[in-house]
Amino acid sequence: MKKTVFLSVLFAFLIFPITVFAGEIGDDLEYAGYLKTELWLKNYNDEAHQSLSAFKNTFDIGLESKFSDAWAFFFHPRYFYDAAYGIRNDFDSNFDKNQDKMGHTQRTEWLRDCYLDYFSDKLDIRLGKQQVVWGQADGLPFMDRVMPFDLTTYWLPDFADIRIPLWMLKAEYSPRLNSTLQFLLIPDFEASRSAPHNAPFSFSANNAWEGFKPVNRNYGGSAQTLIYRPAKKLKNSRVGLRWRSMMGDLEYTLNWLYGYSTSAYTFTDSFTAAIPDTSFGDYIVSRRHKLTHLAGFTFNKSFVDPGLFKDWTLRGEFIYVHNQPTYYGTDGSRKKTELTDNYAYLLGFDKNFFTNWQFSAQFYQFITNDRTWDTYQVLNAYTYGVMDKVENGLTCKIATDFMHERLKPEVLIIYSDDNDGRISLKTKYELKDNLWLGCGYHHFWGPPRGSNGQYRNNDHAFFDVTYTF
Amino acid sequence: MLKKAMFCLAVLLFAGVCLSARADDLEFRKVYKLKPAMSVDEIMKISEHVQYTLFANDYQSTGNVLYVEKSGATRTRKFLRQRIILGPDSLRPEYRYKDLVMFTQPTMVKGLGILTWSYNDLDKVQNQWLWLPSLKKVRKVSAAQADDSFMGSDFTTEEITTRRFEDETFKLLSEEKFKGGFSEIDAKSYYQGRDCYKIECRPKRDPWYYSKRLTWIDKEFGSTIYDEVYDPNGKLYKTILKRYEILQVNGKDYPTQVFLEVKDLRTGHKTGIVMDDIKFDQGLSEGLFTVKSLMRSRW
Repeated sequence: MKKTVFLSVLFAFLIFPITVFAGEIGDDLEYAGYLKTELWLKNYNDEAHQSLSAFKNTFDIGLESKFSDAWAFFFHPRYFYDAAYGIRNDFDSNFDKNQDKMGHTQRTEWLRDCYLDYFSDKLDIRLGKQQVVWGQADGLPFMDRVMPFDLTTYWLPDFADIRIPLWMLKAEYSPRLNSTLQFLLIPDFEASRSAPHNAPFSFSANNAWEGFKPVNRNYGGSAQTLIYRPAKKLKNSRVGLRWRSMMGDLEYTLNWLYGYSTSAYTFTDSFTAAIPDTSFGDYIVSRRHKLTHLAGFTFNKSFVDPGLFKDWTLRGEFIYVHNQPTYYGTDGSRKKTELTDNYAYLLGFDKNFFTNWQFSAQFYQFITNDRTWDTYQVLNAYTYGVMDKVENGLTCKIATDFMHERLKPEVLIIYSDDNDGRISLKTKYELKDNLWLGCGYHHFWGPPRGSNGQYRNNDHAFFDVTYTF
Repeated sequence: MLKKAMFCLAVLLFAGVCLSARADDLEFRKVYKLKPAMSVDEIMKISEHVQYTLFANDYQSTGNVLYVEKSGATRTRKFLRQRIILGPDSLRPEYRYKDLVMFTQPTMVKGLGILTWSYNDLDKVQNQWLWLPSLKKVRKVSAAQADDSFMGSDFTTEEITTRRFEDETFKLLSEEKFKGGFSEIDAKSYYQGRDCYKIECRPKRDPWYYSKRLTWIDKEFGSTIYDEVYDPNGKLYKTILKRYEILQVNGKDYPTQVFLEVKDLRTGHKTGIVMDDIKFDQGLSEGLFTVKSLMRSRW
């Protein structure tokens, strides 16, 4: 353990004396990066004690090479190592068992960007590993569904850090000013990732299933999980189109995406009861990705003319997902997974008040086409809690700055109609150009099977130091 | 007698209309110089023309913002700024200019991009988009309020990007040789003995974050070289020094801001903005000032 701590501290402070910024090597090669140390402390609301849940050290560097005004190459690796597993002295605990899945960068995620750019007046092409983002919602992935997500820390980090980049072709054609047609061809496939059993932010549905397994075994049952991923072949490519244009001051996009869902869904392939009329028995379940259509639109408009809404910005997103695997069952217990259609929309309002207080409010609804299937009700995919046909929610984000933008606090509140929600407070302080401090707190509340309520005993405080170069 | 008075009034009104028409109708893409006996409105209109480089087709520079604490501790931001001037005689007469600022340093803000469309219509506020590196997405935002700090500096947004001729009333106080403006950032005095108009500018908004400003306008090119800004209680609280150089572009003399320094006398905090590598009339395409350009950011 001493060795791990030593390496972590060394890793964290090795670059501390470096006082240069993003730099240039020659005229056409530019680099920038950072080293970040994060400390996450879990606060057990009802047990009144805290525990270390992450001591994460991240190294990130971006290299940009411009061959000409039209051509450029960008390479951006990132690696993290979480020293909490070495520091916490609880070997064989559930926390410690997750080190392989949580303790360092997973799969291909170390490579954040690696692409070739070609820009011209009419056509932009980005070929390689990258992120594509649709939509403008705060704190929620409404239209932002092109990339898979790493949800091991739920939706708490900046989304750019939890999207899993993919190899793809992105082409943007501009037939006229302020109008572009974006075409995506994504032959690469990575599944969205959730936290393993009993990690700080594992989903309660997963915890319940993993908790059920040993009990099931005691009653003579068994459980086998098969994972089916689409092969990384051209024929399995996801395809996307987005038309973006303006009508006066109204900016809008029309979006369409077709391909295998980035999320894996659980299906029960077979079940043989060990004890009649009970749920104990032999399970074969599979995790599958299904072909889905996503269609939708977004819009935004800043009211620039005089009138009641002057200075306000209105945003909206609507998505329709066809053939989305959806869970049905009873509260806490998934019985079936069926393909159904879902809708969601969001309306956002932004305005600056009191000189430099940015205020952003959003109202959203998730609508499931089929609330029931046979006698079962639609379930929350994270928790298997019973959902309404229409789930309503509100978000509110307030951000400001003090001391000449040295101190930047913000708060995001997400609240749904089941009295389920979270408050995320975040503050950044610029000590020097290349040295930033951050801290914050995530508070969750709600019913045990609410999206946020599942973490109601899982508040987290975090502190970070970032050295940039 | 009455007829004579009416005639005089009519002449005065006509003259007033002519003067204000001249002041309002400065052509875009044309360099104006101050001439003797110009009205204060004409002087201020030319000053505004210079500030927003409305004499050019387009503008590009790199910039370095220095935030200097009272203690002397300094933070920096570097950016690339591009602007295309449109105006009433352009293909898009509703726009005044479009402006793109991309931060290049330090790393924490690298890639942050701000696209602004400014309108000719005085009643319209700006349209603004941000490229947010931490989210890797473009976000439409409500335009910053006029009295908000510009990029965290001691300047307000209004002082750098939104103040218009029509926002203030003016009174010519004197013609004088300027006493000199001292830059604390590079410890030099500038423009000592320069021939200037000293003008009092009062905001039409009331209440507003300042009650008046005294401005010194260079007689040769109409550029504002120094401002004293007074708070609502009439107390001097901020000084602004602006350095200009004349750039020769296609045979024309372009008065060009190369350095701005503002000092907040209440806090002792200073902000300097140094412009480098300034280029005019590069033939920048309007296509550069679109959301697509923001999305090209790699950082």
